[in-house]
Amino acid sequence: MSLEELPAPNVGARLRVARETAGLTQADAASSIDIARTTLVAIEKGQRRIRADELQKLARRYRTSVNALLRHESVCIDLVPRFRKLSTVSDHATDNAARLLTDLVQAEAELENTLGITRTRNDPPERPLMPGDVHAQAETNATELRYWLGLGLAPVRDLVSLLELDLGVRVYVRPLDSQVSGLFAYDEEVGACMLLNANHPHERRTQTGGHELGHFSASRKKPDILHSNEQESSREERYASAFARAFLTPTHTVGHRFRDLTAGASHLTRRHVILLAHTFGISREAMVRRLEELGLTKPGTWDWFQANGGITDEQARQVLGDLAAVDTGKMEAERPTTLRLNLLAAEAWRKGLLSEGQLARLLRLSRVELREILDDVEIEEVEADGISKLPH
Amino acid sequence: MEYRSCLTDSTLPVVADTSVIINLNATGYSEALLGALPNRFLVVEEVSLELEVDSRTGRNDAEALSALVDQGSVELVRLGDAGTQHFISLVSGPANQTLDDGEAATIAYALEHGATALIDERKAIRICAERFGALSTGCTVDIFAQDDVQRILTRDTLADAVFNALYQGRMRVPDHYVGWVVNLIGEERAAQCRSLPASVRARRS
Repeated sequence: MSLEELPAPNVGARLRVARETAGLTQADAASSIDIARTTLVAIEKGQRRIRADELQKLARRYRTSVNALLRHESVCIDLVPRFRKLSTVSDHATDNAARLLTDLVQAEAELENTLGITRTRNDPPERPLMPGDVHAQAETNATELRYWLGLGLAPVRDLVSLLELDLGVRVYVRPLDSQVSGLFAYDEEVGACMLLNANHPHERRTQTGGHELGHFSASRKKPDILHSNEQESSREERYASAFARAFLTPTHTVGHRFRDLTAGASHLTRRHVILLAHTFGISREAMVRRLEELGLTKPGTWDWFQANGGITDEQARQVLGDLAAVDTGKMEAERPTTLRLNLLAAEAWRKGLLSEGQLARLLRLSRVELREILDDVEIEEVEADGISKLPH
Repeated sequence: MEYRSCLTDSTLPVVADTSVIINLNATGYSEALLGALPNRFLVVEEVSLELEVDSRTGRNDAEALSALVDQGSVELVRLGDAGTQHFISLVSGPANQTLDDGEAATIAYALEHGATALIDERKAIRICAERFGALSTGCTVDIFAQDDVQRILTRDTLADAVFNALYQGRMRVPDHYVGWVVNLIGEERAAQCRSLPASVRARRS
């Protein structure tokens, strides 16, 4: 196919997203390839067809490939510039996390497109913030979503699976800078996406996921980044945190469990806190603060524990024993990419749909890393040959 | 099984794709191999750029290529107008009919200058066969199996080079070359190479 046969507006739109993702102004990009800014504007608007040499130079400047810009199935979404608009100051940790989320979403969506896979989405009804008490609205909306999902009042043991399987959210657990807890974005083409920090404990990731679910519930068009120790400075943030608490630790269920566990006891002990936190899959601090919020223990209880030696991981291990869960999400995050992307990539390669070069660039892997993944998947397939044939 | 390298005409330049350079670097004998190969050995600048991106994980293939260029073992080349047209035709369109820039530029240069394209990627080989039937193509193993290379390097050295490319670089080997490769490196070492077919590795396990 020649450049003349490609729709200029499509190429222009992809170039605009690639430039914005690279963090370049039109003037910067134009000067780097010796054209006038107005010429680049016309190219991005699809009013002027780009020449091959210009395209090659821009692809290099934007750190992408010409093929990634011209391949029909390419998915170009502008998450990075959308996240950048959230803050006036440049923040490398946020920028890196936004790039990672974009890379993962684009790779997964393009692999699905290439393989003809239709992802099931199940967006819950949107509940925009109303004037008044955001905490009360969060409680109402979280309860409504629980019933919409058929959860009732039961504790959520695996929020990531619930987000992926019941709501069709693209959730990625990858190592991020410690300042960043998680990101949420929504795009019409690819749906809701979340990135959670694998370096944070499982319980904390659950709380971050609950917080981002709050944004999905009330303000999905606006991306969100949750920083560690972030102050709840806006109504949206206060709503999202309250939503997470109400969704993960429903008032009625917490009260019921609390009374069950503390029956006959005179004080709230570390053992009680450890068992309650384990029941709801959240941190010990979040559990105690929720008890304080619901008036089940007096304000300042967590601070008292902290001032008196805290509640340690070792104490939790002694109480929970074998019940202490292995953090499989963190273990998986230590691999170069996600297990699902591995499988999709291997399938696209096996069918001859994407080449090694295309896949390495799409997944941001070195060639040897990619070859290792392809070899591993191929070995499994050879071993499984003839065992069970899938119905599709 | 004997297999004859496609590199039989020493007057024809060869132009190598990214994966070939990675495999050559993994051999530990790239200078000796290219020194023995009588053909001009070319790399397009798109491949050089891809190797720079690939260095993210600590591999130094871009530096190794740069050293080979400085020694005169490799020439860096650019596409002309005709090559650029071929290049655009290979990178635009449906995913299953396109290639990434390095693979596409390697083929485009070979088409423009009548060179042999060395490319291990099976999708690229399929596209070449469908669209450019007259184009001469080969793979990394064609370098090892070339007559002068086999004559100048000792068999042990050649076997070490091939094993390193397989073990360190996960080199791909076309079906018709598997027997030659296993015969050269031996079944014991072949069993350690996960990029070789499972049937070959199973002979020793």
